[in-house]
Amino acid sequence: MACSTRIDQKLVKALLTALESGEHSKASALLDEMTQIRESELYQRVSELTQNLNQTLNGLSDSTLLLQTKHDIPDAAERLEYVINTTADASHKTLEAAEKALGLMASLKQELLTSSSAPMSETLQNILNQVSSELTEIMLAQSFQDLTGQVLNRVVLIISSLEQSLIHLIDQSIHDYAAIPNRDERQCDTRSAEMKGVGPNVTEKSKQGAVQSQQEVDDLLSDLGF
Amino acid sequence: MSVDREMKILIVDDFSTMRRIVKNLLKELGFHDFQEADDGVTAWPMLQEGHYDFIVSDWNMPGMTGIELLRRVRADQRLKETPFLLITAEAKRNQMLEAAESGVDGYIVKPFTANALNDKIYQIFKRRNEQKNNQ
Repeated sequence: MACSTRIDQKLVKALLTALESGEHSKASALLDEMTQIRESELYQRVSELTQNLNQTLNGLSDSTLLLQTKHDIPDAAERLEYVINTTADASHKTLEAAEKALGLMASLKQELLTSSSAPMSETLQNILNQVSSELTEIMLAQSFQDLTGQVLNRVVLIISSLEQSLIHLIDQSIHDYAAIPNRDERQCDTRSAEMKGVGPNVTEKSKQGAVQSQQEVDDLLSDLGF
Repeated sequence: MSVDREMKILIVDDFSTMRRIVKNLLKELGFHDFQEADDGVTAWPMLQEGHYDFIVSDWNMPGMTGIELLRRVRADQRLKETPFLLITAEAKRNQMLEAAESGVDGYIVKPFTANALNDKIYQIFKRRNEQKNNQ
């Protein structure tokens, strides 16, 4: 960054002369002086930056950043948590089915062994082993939930930390975080978004006005004469 | 060499799906005595109170990570000889070196196969046996 510094040639020459002539205490004093100059310049720049940032923040009245900080960022974290929970549920269901099927395979094997005096054919044994091995593969594939969950947990942490930083910034400005209004969602905008499709209603807010079961859908439509 | 199928195993992972997968795989390998913990903080008192022959742990967990748990186990007079297997998504060389320096017996990177788990367990107990015989 180009800057007008107060460390000039004269000062540097004086330092060199002091070093060359072995005047260490003088050289040390000159170095201290230079460091002080650099530090004071740095503080000045940081203070300018802070001032600029404050001015920008103060000028943000009802801007999108304020609304995003209060509404969209927590909403994003909630949506990611929904993904983690939904994939965990699905993985558990798959694991349960695979566990039951493996148990049934073991019973089947036992049954075949005890119900006939003839030894089990090699083909049949191979098939049984192959089915068990495929079930194990299904089970192992569920480890995706752990791997993707770890990634999502990390993103949730980043989002939350960003949210905290933004809240802190807002508090430093003339804005009051608690006073940031709810989104001014005009009914026609919400309706227009809904007509395009909004995906699963996963956040507490988006669940408002949404049905929770097929029964509710049927009841609603039946009330409408369907 | 055969691995004792009666040994008591502690499975430590914050994801219940992964604990379930590991448990099922171990069951298929003939083991049947398991306990579960969802991170190092939960695992530690269990290790203090009970006797475990084998610890299978994840690395990245809230509370206490797998590597911290490993270090604690190795620093504990009573537990320090317990075989410790890390099954983790952490795949950096530095992490593996750190785990090795901390005294891990085996390291499996997720996603893994049933064969990898079987081989690793066999290797761990084979090495342990050899060390015992050399002493």
